[in-house]
Amino acid sequence: MLVPGALALLPEYAGQQDPLAELRAACHAAVAWLCEPGETVAVHCEHQSLRLARHLVGQAGGTLHPIDDRPAPTLVIGNGSARRTEKAPGHLDPRAASFDADLGRALTRPDPAALAAIDGRLARELWADVESLRWLGEEVLSGSERVVVDYDDDPFGVQYWVLRLES
Amino acid sequence: MLRLGRHAFTDDTTLMMAIVNRTPDSFYDRGATWAEDRAFERVALVVEQGAEIVDIGGIKAAPGAEIDAAEEKSRVVDFVARVRDAFPSLVISVDTWRAEVGDAVCRAGADVLNDAWGGADPELVDVAAAHDVAIICTHTGGATPRTRPYRVEYNDVVASAIADTTAYAARALAAGVARESVVIDPAHDFGKNTFHSLELTRRLAEMVDTGWPVLVSLSNKDFVGETLDKPVGERLLGTLAATAVCATAGARIYRVHEVVETRQVVDMAWAIAGRRLPARAIRGLQ
Repeated sequence: MLVPGALALLPEYAGQQDPLAELRAACHAAVAWLCEPGETVAVHCEHQSLRLARHLVGQAGGTLHPIDDRPAPTLVIGNGSARRTEKAPGHLDPRAASFDADLGRALTRPDPAALAAIDGRLARELWADVESLRWLGEEVLSGSERVVVDYDDDPFGVQYWVLRLES
Repeated sequence: MLRLGRHAFTDDTTLMMAIVNRTPDSFYDRGATWAEDRAFERVALVVEQGAEIVDIGGIKAAPGAEIDAAEEKSRVVDFVARVRDAFPSLVISVDTWRAEVGDAVCRAGADVLNDAWGGADPELVDVAAAHDVAIICTHTGGATPRTRPYRVEYNDVVASAIADTTAYAARALAAGVARESVVIDPAHDFGKNTFHSLELTRRLAEMVDTGWPVLVSLSNKDFVGETLDKPVGERLLGTLAATAVCATAGARIYRVHEVVETRQVVDMAWAIAGRRLPARAIRGLQ
């Protein structure tokens, strides 16, 4: 499954009001679906997102699984462009919308070949965190067929998805 | 926990105490709320602005025409009852040093006795205990009510303020006032020159460290005016600067004329001090 790496989801960055309440609820519900209490979860993400993975999995009662060959539920952290609007962290890049549209199609279809073919350089230019998304393709190849979209929006100019892969 | 009569507050909250004068001659509003209906409108306004407490006073602090207890009661008792009836969730404080007046306003619904004159009437603590209301223990350096300071000096004004207010607090406890209903106040300007009030502001954390909740009453006072060479009416910015310093130190209650401005300054300072979360944070965290 996929959640975005928004730092605002970390408890240490909580304010009195939650600007990402809907996204947060979707992330927690999806990780609870992924992970039974006491279970270990394999995580694929950039180093900075490990804290978020630990938080989300911990809230569901699970622990992070050292990445090896043993089968485990898989949590992937990544997101689309952070340059979707004038107010976005990376300001507006007119290429962001089509990039995210293609990426969203590849993720939700799901299309492992398209995920493997993501243009990494363009992704970096668009501030998209896609390094770990190929692992979703791996999951699809290993038997997951249906993608459930729990969240698909860009409330602060960053494209977020919360996706669950079902067999 | 801080308990003010009928109302309780957790230790991480700050409270705005809005000044409501039932006087014809107070220094800042110059009788603007002397008429009872005008005073009532002021209460409604400050409630709308978010004040948790109103501090109703029937006698101005400065020297002037003598107001006896009967006259003071006629100014505040029925008014307290009216405010109690209209605003059940509002904390009502009454600024008085007289036990007789304190007893009457508590019967009418007051939650706090704000003894701005530092225990001049020794029976006020007994009244607070009898009605289970809160008491504000202020430091005046022993000044007689309604007198101005004249050549007052201290070896250490902060040490004096701590010694006198905590002794007053102990006296309140001994009289039976609940521990969670005692507040201390260094009382800027009262029995003090401007240098004293500046030092109390600078070293307010020492009062906070006593463990008693601290009230500060800074609003538009002479120490602000003298520091900035500004007349009454042009002291808001200086008041807010002093407020920020006291809030950083951890003051809990702010006795104010301007509720909205003070609330923002206190909330900002408490957030900087790490005692309050930002309202809503997303910048750089998307």
